[in-house]
Amino acid sequence: MGTAVTHAPAMEDLAKGSEPRHGPVKPARPAELKRRGRRENLAGYLFMSPWIAGFLLLTAGPMAASLYFAFTDYNLFDAPRWIGLDNFSEMFGDPRWRHSVQVTLWYVVVGTPIKLIAALGVALLLAQKRRGQAFYRAAFYAPSLIGASVSVAIVWKAIFSDDAVVDRTQQLFGIDAGGWTGDPDLIIYSLVALTVWQFGAPMVIFLAGLKQVPRELYEAADVDGAGKLRQFWNITLPMISPVLFFNVLLETIHSFQIFSSAYIVGGGAGGNACGPADGTMVYTCYLYVQGFENSRMGLASAMAWMLLVAVALVTAVLFWSQKRWVHYEEGGR
Amino acid sequence: MQQGGNVERRTILKAAGASLAVAGLGATATACGGGSGSGDGTVTIRYSWWGAEDRAERINKTIALFEKKYPKIKVKTDFQPYTDFWKKFNTQASGGNPPDVFQNAIGFLRKYDAKNVLLDLSAQVEAGNLSMEGFRAGLEKFGEIDGKLLGVPVGSNSMALVIDKPVFTRAGVKPEQGWTWDDFDEAMTKIRDRTGRAGDSGMYGVMYLYDLYLRQNGKAFFTKDGLGFSEADLTQWWTKAEKGVKSGLFADPKKVAQIKPKSALSAELAGSEFTWDNFTVRYTSEGKSEYGLAPIPTTDGEKTGQYLGSLMLSGYKRTEHPKEVAQFIDFMVHDPEVAKIMGYDRGVPTTQAQYDAYRPTDPVNKAIAAYEESLVEAGVLETITPHPNGADICEAAFLRIAEEMALGERSVGDAVKQFFSESKTALAG
Repeated sequence: MGTAVTHAPAMEDLAKGSEPRHGPVKPARPAELKRRGRRENLAGYLFMSPWIAGFLLLTAGPMAASLYFAFTDYNLFDAPRWIGLDNFSEMFGDPRWRHSVQVTLWYVVVGTPIKLIAALGVALLLAQKRRGQAFYRAAFYAPSLIGASVSVAIVWKAIFSDDAVVDRTQQLFGIDAGGWTGDPDLIIYSLVALTVWQFGAPMVIFLAGLKQVPRELYEAADVDGAGKLRQFWNITLPMISPVLFFNVLLETIHSFQIFSSAYIVGGGAGGNACGPADGTMVYTCYLYVQGFENSRMGLASAMAWMLLVAVALVTAVLFWSQKRWVHYEEGGR
Repeated sequence: MQQGGNVERRTILKAAGASLAVAGLGATATACGGGSGSGDGTVTIRYSWWGAEDRAERINKTIALFEKKYPKIKVKTDFQPYTDFWKKFNTQASGGNPPDVFQNAIGFLRKYDAKNVLLDLSAQVEAGNLSMEGFRAGLEKFGEIDGKLLGVPVGSNSMALVIDKPVFTRAGVKPEQGWTWDDFDEAMTKIRDRTGRAGDSGMYGVMYLYDLYLRQNGKAFFTKDGLGFSEADLTQWWTKAEKGVKSGLFADPKKVAQIKPKSALSAELAGSEFTWDNFTVRYTSEGKSEYGLAPIPTTDGEKTGQYLGSLMLSGYKRTEHPKEVAQFIDFMVHDPEVAKIMGYDRGVPTTQAQYDAYRPTDPVNKAIAAYEESLVEAGVLETITPHPNGADICEAAFLRIAEEMALGERSVGDAVKQFFSESKTALAG
């Protein structure tokens, strides 16, 4: 049949003729159109140039440099010396590095779920209509606004240090354990408490997710005689699973990158860099110690790239796993 | 309308271009800002040091004095606590923008000399901008390495045992020059048994004390390019420490870690603590008791292994104003008024002129002066052993690993192995 052959050119003509236009603009000749397009592009790039320059200078450049340093011995003063994969093999052979990996993994595995459970729990409470709702939402959200700041970490340190509020409260109950921040075994719990306290951001996202769950589902469940717990497991959780996935992903990545709170609560200025007996020696803390205290920028760069790879892997696993537990509504309702 | 749009766009583009140009100029201006010196011959030098607020007040007063005497030199200061100081310094130095003159210590001389950061001041001495005369007890040699003058000492100090006087009296212990480590152990036991307090706050992590112990036994912590002791030596030192912790002779390490930054001595966890003699001031302000200085225990009843340690002033090798840097250092170590302002804050003044200018009247500083004089009289002072490149990292590792060992996180054997492996890396760099 010949129709199929003639069909395509016809479509082309049709497309050319009915080019969409906005407003009563006179059709321009192709050359002029091209010129104007180029001018417009140029203007666009010019307006973007601060961002592009910033990206190249402050992000792409340093990243490329850091990737190069990862394969060199670089002490900040002498020119970097290419040593291939030596930094990486040294890293794996270093017990202190393995300790920092352990501390970080523990922090991620313990801290993140508690934080998310707290966020979801409070979101469930705040999703119901009650008096003063706006106030409670703001009050619970506030810590995550200020939580990342150094000053909060300092306050936290003051709360958990020896003979401070927490210690004295413990003493009231006859527990004389001393301050948490000076105890190599307890200090990490104060960090977990700090991150859990900042559950506001995931809470707000959960709240938005909870609002999206159709009421009819609960009504139907009520009619069928399902209890509250049952409704939570079978309706709420599946319905908010995309939001849950988003929060798990974000908070996990966030936990891997913990630095300032560990560094400051753990000691910071003066003395041990990251807690007594390396109690809060999380990965980025050790990276900082190697880079800035021991002047081993090459090794620190290698560690940074290792962290990037690890976080990418964890993210990939999470994305792969979402097929099994995240439910997206298909085709709309 | 179309044309108007074009004009508008052009204006915006121009504005954007102009602002970019301004930003560019701004960048150039900041880049030049690091340099100093203006038309009238006034130069600005940057001076940075570690310490706290009270030292800052004193130093600012000395600088005001300096600027009055040298109106053509302005001094900009910057200070941080000890560890932060070196982080900032490293970053600045690697960017080619370190301070012109800065506080320094023996552990860093070889390190920064190897990295080409330190100014050799001997040329300035020859030019007459800096005098190296009038120093006490051979201190003028203190900052010399391989024939280069890399630092000028501003204050000398020595290791001492700070004691809680009433506790020692109650225990019936009276430390005297020449007492031995056996006497010391006996004293610790008496204090524990009679006052219910640990004898010492845990000296096993004090690198400078271990150095004295090694020197008493014909070794030293450092040689010119490495460690001057063996794994067996350190095993012996830390095994004794572990026993002391377990038997309550030394303060509970967990408690000591918890009360930081307060010291175990002023927190009444221990009856004594080894430290630099000029740190004594701290205990009086921190604690409630009366504190005194006792001599370092010996091995043979004579030799303490002690030497004078010191804070120094060093210059940056590529400073634009080496002459002014030298004049500044000269003023700070020789001018009698400076000594009256600084007191023993950085240790006992190193030049005779400054030493004579400040006679302490308060009991704490009087005790420091008496202690240093007793060292000179006893004739126990020796010369310091060299500190290799990487010594600072070794010291930090020593302190940390000793604490881990004391807290029971590591066995002695494991701790010793870890320290030697970390030092090997640090000293190789």
